[in-house]
Amino acid sequence: MKPILTALFLVICTALASAQGEPPSVVSSVKHATEGHVWGALIFATNDATQLTGAKEPIHADLPRLNERLAKVFPFKHFEILGQHRQDIFREYESWVVPSRDLFMKIDSKGPADKGGVNLHLQVWREQQVLVKSDAVLRKDSPLFIGGPPWKEGRLIFVLCLERK
Amino acid sequence: MKPPSEEHDLIRWIDGEMNETEIATFEERLKQDPVLAKEARQMRELSTSLRTHLPAEMRVPHADYFNTQIEVRITQMALDEARAKQASPGLGAMFQWLRQPWFALAGTAALAVLGFFLLNPATGDASESMIISSYTPNTHVQARTYHDSAADATVLILDGLDAVPAERKVSGINIQRSEVEPELASTTMFDSHGTPVLMISRDALGNPMITPRG
Amino acid sequence: MPASASTDPGEVSDLDLVKRSQAGDTRAFDVLVTRYRGRIYAMTYHLIQNETEAWDLAQEAFIKAWRALPTFKHDAGFYTWLYRIAHNVSYDWLRKKKIQGDGEFDDERTEHRVAVGAEATPKGDLAPDAAMTNAELGQRIQQAIAKLSPEHRQVIVLREVEGLAYEEIAALIPCSLGTVMSRLFYARKKLQEQLHDVYETSI
Repeated sequence: MKPILTALFLVICTALASAQGEPPSVVSSVKHATEGHVWGALIFATNDATQLTGAKEPIHADLPRLNERLAKVFPFKHFEILGQHRQDIFREYESWVVPSRDLFMKIDSKGPADKGGVNLHLQVWREQQVLVKSDAVLRKDSPLFIGGPPWKEGRLIFVLCLERK
Repeated sequence: MKPPSEEHDLIRWIDGEMNETEIATFEERLKQDPVLAKEARQMRELSTSLRTHLPAEMRVPHADYFNTQIEVRITQMALDEARAKQASPGLGAMFQWLRQPWFALAGTAALAVLGFFLLNPATGDASESMIISSYTPNTHVQARTYHDSAADATVLILDGLDAVPAERKVSGINIQRSEVEPELASTTMFDSHGTPVLMISRDALGNPMITPRG
Repeated sequence: MPASASTDPGEVSDLDLVKRSQAGDTRAFDVLVTRYRGRIYAMTYHLIQNETEAWDLAQEAFIKAWRALPTFKHDAGFYTWLYRIAHNVSYDWLRKKKIQGDGEFDDERTEHRVAVGAEATPKGDLAPDAAMTNAELGQRIQQAIAKLSPEHRQVIVLREVEGLAYEEIAALIPCSLGTVMSRLFYARKKLQEQLHDVYETSI
């Protein structure tokens, strides 16, 4: 199965790469109904600056003072965004938020909630193992901080927020 | 390929769906046709094995939690309805609902959810994100959730997770867009330049599979 | 249709529990969940072949049932009604999540690939029947079922696990009687092909 998928992926990559620069219709993709958009990030928290990986991912504009806010919850001095992912929340299909291959999230929409929120079923995965499943309501300007596994002398944190638009 | 009628006869014979005359006729055919007879016997044996090895009832993992979660979700639905009604007659309707005798008997988990809604002052205007319920398949892992007003964030802490080995190089990706392919049950992820970075799909057991592995 | 679980003489009947549930008594519904969760989970598990998802879908079925309780008319047994909900929830999921397989999800293609009476099935190097323990055979069967298309898996579970009559399967899916029989035939052929080393040597 894996070689087939790898080959398929390469075929898609080739097709899309060759289509770049051509009219949009060439790479037309079906637009699926969405409930909104999320931003997910994998963050490494540590007290030892020498352990930082050097990643330079920018902080999302909807999350001002992110490091300060993380420090209110997690007892670390340094917070580094390792990876990030902007994702549609599909109404009919599962949505994956993959800021890293090491820790990622599956989202299933359960429809809109009040105050502009969205009802979600979340699953945090570590490779092929599901760490937690949650039913949640995600609202704008109110991120979700998920304290994940320890790494080195720090901790991996998953941040999820509903984008304003 | 056999004609459909022959396939159907074979199936009906295996499943005991033939009357006596049909059975006699079919079994006479089996005597005349050793290939069909062999196939019929093998298929019947397979059918017997399936019935033996596919139990009609199974032990539900974390059975108590299974029930509790259902109760939590039911309570949550009732709360949502009460909230909707609350919009016009005010809090009275909600508290009227809470006075229902059966509610007093609801499970502790359901009460925990209710407590989250009622006791957390910030939920009065329900403007923040909420974790309604959590389930950790690994029983050594505990999930706890709360709202941190100083951080202005909803927090879900997973305690008891195995550490990621220090020597492992955990690295991130920057994904800006994705395209879902329903027929393949896969999603292709693109970076800010529109270049495909990875594809995620499911393996035969339904677990996520990221390609390429990176 | 699947019959309800036999109840002890002193046990509260499904009907009483359903009436109390319809009046909003979650305790009564909890008893129904406990009574039928093992059977509903078995069905979702056999259909989905994934413990985590099957657990979720079984739960989803009970929640849907709770929501639909006001429409339950008592003209069918509660378990039959619940089973139908669970089946629909699972099958919808299966269709939605159709996984790319080895052409397994196309009945036409599958049927052509498994031409009846094909003698040229490759011989595997797996242990023959005599050496295979009961547990090993069970595992092989589960693996073989996981490779079936949703449509084939569905008829196998409905017939072999639940023991439904062809007419009941046709009504539940829904499809014609002929389709039920054809699907059952090809599903079994497919399983037979995958388990050929077991059955080739056993007769």
